[in-house]
Amino acid sequence: MKILSNFAFSECDATTDIISEIMHIPDGYLSPQTYIPLFGAFAAATAVAVRKVKKEVSVRNIPYLGMAAAFSFIIMMFNLPVPGGTTGHAVGSAVIAILFGPWAAMIAVSVALIIQALVFGDGGITAIGANCFNMAVFMPFVAWYIFKLAGNNPVKTKRIFLVAFISGYLSLVLTAILTAFEFGIQPIIASAADGKALYCPYDLSIAIPAMAIEHLLLFGIAEGMITALIIRYVLVNEPGLIHAFRKEGQYENK
Amino acid sequence: MENNLPAYLRQSEGGQQEGRHAKRGQLSFLNKSIVNAAVTMKSIYLQAENSGRQNFFQRIHPGVKLLSLIYFEIVISFVHRPIAQMLITSFIFLLFLAAGLSLFLVYRRILFLVFIFGFLIIWPASLNMITPGKIIFNLICFSKPSQFWIYHIPQCIGFTAEGLQVVWLLFLRVLNSVSFAMLVVFTTSFPAFVKSFKIIGLPDTFLMIITLGYKYIFILSRTIEEAFFALKSRLIGNIRNNTIRKLMGGLIFNIFKKSMTNYENTWYAMVSRGYQGKIILHSPKQVDSTDLFAFIVIVAFGIGILFM
Repeated sequence: MKILSNFAFSECDATTDIISEIMHIPDGYLSPQTYIPLFGAFAAATAVAVRKVKKEVSVRNIPYLGMAAAFSFIIMMFNLPVPGGTTGHAVGSAVIAILFGPWAAMIAVSVALIIQALVFGDGGITAIGANCFNMAVFMPFVAWYIFKLAGNNPVKTKRIFLVAFISGYLSLVLTAILTAFEFGIQPIIASAADGKALYCPYDLSIAIPAMAIEHLLLFGIAEGMITALIIRYVLVNEPGLIHAFRKEGQYENK
Repeated sequence: MENNLPAYLRQSEGGQQEGRHAKRGQLSFLNKSIVNAAVTMKSIYLQAENSGRQNFFQRIHPGVKLLSLIYFEIVISFVHRPIAQMLITSFIFLLFLAAGLSLFLVYRRILFLVFIFGFLIIWPASLNMITPGKIIFNLICFSKPSQFWIYHIPQCIGFTAEGLQVVWLLFLRVLNSVSFAMLVVFTTSFPAFVKSFKIIGLPDTFLMIITLGYKYIFILSRTIEEAFFALKSRLIGNIRNNTIRKLMGGLIFNIFKKSMTNYENTWYAMVSRGYQGKIILHSPKQVDSTDLFAFIVIVAFGIGILFM
């Protein structure tokens, strides 16, 4: 497999995605005062999600969620041209939430993030709880509620396209701001006696504008577009697969 | 010469036609996606290959390695002295030697990640705008200090001694965290590693989902690579971004459908083997004295570093 020998190329190429990768918080950026509570919050949310999903998806839940996890991982591989001449890839939590429901998305995306951290080094080990809380708990629920708020009529395809875009866009931007907040509080809660930063050195006035602006202008658009494209395609071809509409009883197929 | 090709082969492709009239567009997204899929497969191959070796570190029980990983990452996050972090760097390097891995291959990946997260993102913290202190190297001087939005821009901008210390500490911490994680990842079979998560209380159901997800990822990565090669071979020149987005939408939907088919097939395979909804994962092997010895060494080293 010749393409596999081009690993160095891929590493250089990946530098273009550096900023989007900071969504996967690496080790060393968060203090124990931050990563331990976030891990606790994630563990509690996952326990609830496992119970909810078992009830919803029946005995088939194991292969179903395994597939959802793989799909949420796979979505991150797809690059798409975004305005400005560059390309971006989606986190995928929004589209997974709309397709599978927020609780299943929580498990699926957290499994994908755990595999990413353990196999590919994307995101830290101590930061697994924080990353999962941000991208597997917070983001799917934000996306789900935005979509449910405005996208409850599957007949209006254009409207669904727009709502899916907004739900992907806003959920990523808000998640980026949450991540920036976690970075930004480090100089406040975990500094040395002489005031030197021990973890992420950027305070809120730097972390939030930096993360928010790039996600508002660039990566949010990629997330929104990928979410909207997939949802529109599924809506046109097999609307029954969209969990967000199944709840309404309009496309029940399970 | 008469053309005997069937009509459907003589029809021109939509993408090619559009290429002549397209205003703007590019195909780099295809290369990136192909590379992403290839890197995923390569990582899985590499991990499987390295973890299959029979060196000292590979033979340690996956559960012991998992506990060591969690413990060591926590120790690294608590150590704030650069000298202690450098000792950890040396210790991890020795463990890499014991594992018999290709240092070039492993450190190339580690240093790439460390360059991004331990340097590229962090280096502005060495400037006096972020970390105040005595400037040891001036970069630029303005006529007077100024204010931009909420930011104060000092008259002179340069590297401070305190800032460099902050960057150095973070660089070492990221290096050590990534190195130790890679050491464990490269020397442990992923399915065995996942089974060891039982030690930290994760339910079998969740572990089974991780194992299945991991296998699906490998299968789907291959599908994506093939689909992208097929797509790339049919596109020439500049393609409209709108067309690209439609193609990608279709491709992702196709992958989604394939995922659903995989899930259905897996479900039927599980049922045919007697699956009734109960998952019991068996531990790969028992913990022996070598495992305990390795764990004690790592714990003792961690305690020594914390109290030095």
